[in-house]
Amino acid sequence: MNNAPKPNIEDLPTPVQLRRSTIIAGMTAIAIGVMVYLPAEYGTDPTGVGSILGLTEMGEIKQQLAAEAAADEALHGGDESSSLMNDIFGLFVGAAHAQEAWQDEVTFTLAPGDSTEVKVTMEEGTTLTYAWVTTGGRVNFDLHAHSGSDEVTYERGRGETSGEGSITAPFAGDHGWFWRNRDDIELTVTLQLSGAYSEIVRGE
Amino acid sequence: MIPNRSYRSGHPSHALRQSLILFTTIVLMLIAFATSAYAHAVTPGDAGYIQEIFGVHIISFIYLGAKHMITGYDHILFLLGVVFFLYHMKDVAIYVSIFAVGHSITMIAGVWFGWGINAYIIDAIIGLSVVYKALDNLGLYQKWLGFQPNTKAATLIFGLFHGTGLASKILDYQLSEDGLLANLLAFNVGVEVGQLLALFVILIVMGYWRRSPNFMRQASVANIIMVGLGLLLTYQQIAGYIAST
Repeated sequence: MNNAPKPNIEDLPTPVQLRRSTIIAGMTAIAIGVMVYLPAEYGTDPTGVGSILGLTEMGEIKQQLAAEAAADEALHGGDESSSLMNDIFGLFVGAAHAQEAWQDEVTFTLAPGDSTEVKVTMEEGTTLTYAWVTTGGRVNFDLHAHSGSDEVTYERGRGETSGEGSITAPFAGDHGWFWRNRDDIELTVTLQLSGAYSEIVRGE
Repeated sequence: MIPNRSYRSGHPSHALRQSLILFTTIVLMLIAFATSAYAHAVTPGDAGYIQEIFGVHIISFIYLGAKHMITGYDHILFLLGVVFFLYHMKDVAIYVSIFAVGHSITMIAGVWFGWGINAYIIDAIIGLSVVYKALDNLGLYQKWLGFQPNTKAATLIFGLFHGTGLASKILDYQLSEDGLLANLLAFNVGVEVGQLLALFVILIVMGYWRRSPNFMRQASVANIIMVGLGLLLTYQQIAGYIAST
């Protein structure tokens, strides 16, 4: 019971053709594995082709993220992300109010691939107002906080050159930015802050 | 006596309290340091990479499209069903092109317009597309309906569903707006490259198999298995949908 007649043997590829195709497929698979898959997944590029294609960078970023995720897991245990919390407290990111004067200004420079954290220690219910601008390249950031089992992501962005707003801390702890330069040139971020925080914490 | 005793016993207890405070402070500092060390919510893998980058990355997205197709067993299974009884290269080219046109249309439109269709529902339909094609290969529509439903139209329509499924996966990746269209087109090219690579392997395997004298009997068994696999995929997606609501 098939919806087709038996194939005519003369119309089929001959064993010689099939063997040749199999060899081509096998060689192609090895070539793709070494020149494309290894660089794109693991950042290892034995032939140099992956770097020419720009795929080695992809593998390096994936490896970096995997290492960070593993470090994260070791610090905090399993899944603790709370998307509901994120949704609710994402609403607290509002437009910056006109500032008479900023309390603090933080300036730092990131080479391509480098990252850092800038956070402020806040009590529950207090507000931080901020404005930042980059010179040189564009920056990726993750404005977030976590303390014990509490976690909140206020805002994320990539390839941005400026930002402003205010956040209200849903819980006490260090609230602030993870910054990473995924651009191909050096960049400098100038961050201005004011609000009821007790200190500025700089990470790696 | 009492103040004296109190003084004598008070001194060591003061020292104890001091060291206790020091110890607690160190522990709290260590905890504070540990929790502030890193840990913004990290997404690893392809999605994590895509969420880090912005701008046009043609070759990277061709790679990701091809990888998505080759590792997407539901698409490969449908493709296998479509070419199961096709061995003239012209027929293979026509049907694979129809499928490619179908899934390209909805993939690009779906991402561009941000169709928020539930991935479980789409993937359940994709599972049913495998069932449909396997039943078609078994010739059961002629038996049940008395006529043969248009196979090219079915390939196009299911291609549209497969593309919608691809679009919902790409939306989950959260591509940057910066370079979106170019990256999306590159991803689509990659999907076709991946499809051709998979097709090449399928045609070699089928080439050997078709030469076997038992091919027609085994083909029936294979398509019955394919019905089962399609039903399994559909079941998993429906179960996933129910669990997610």
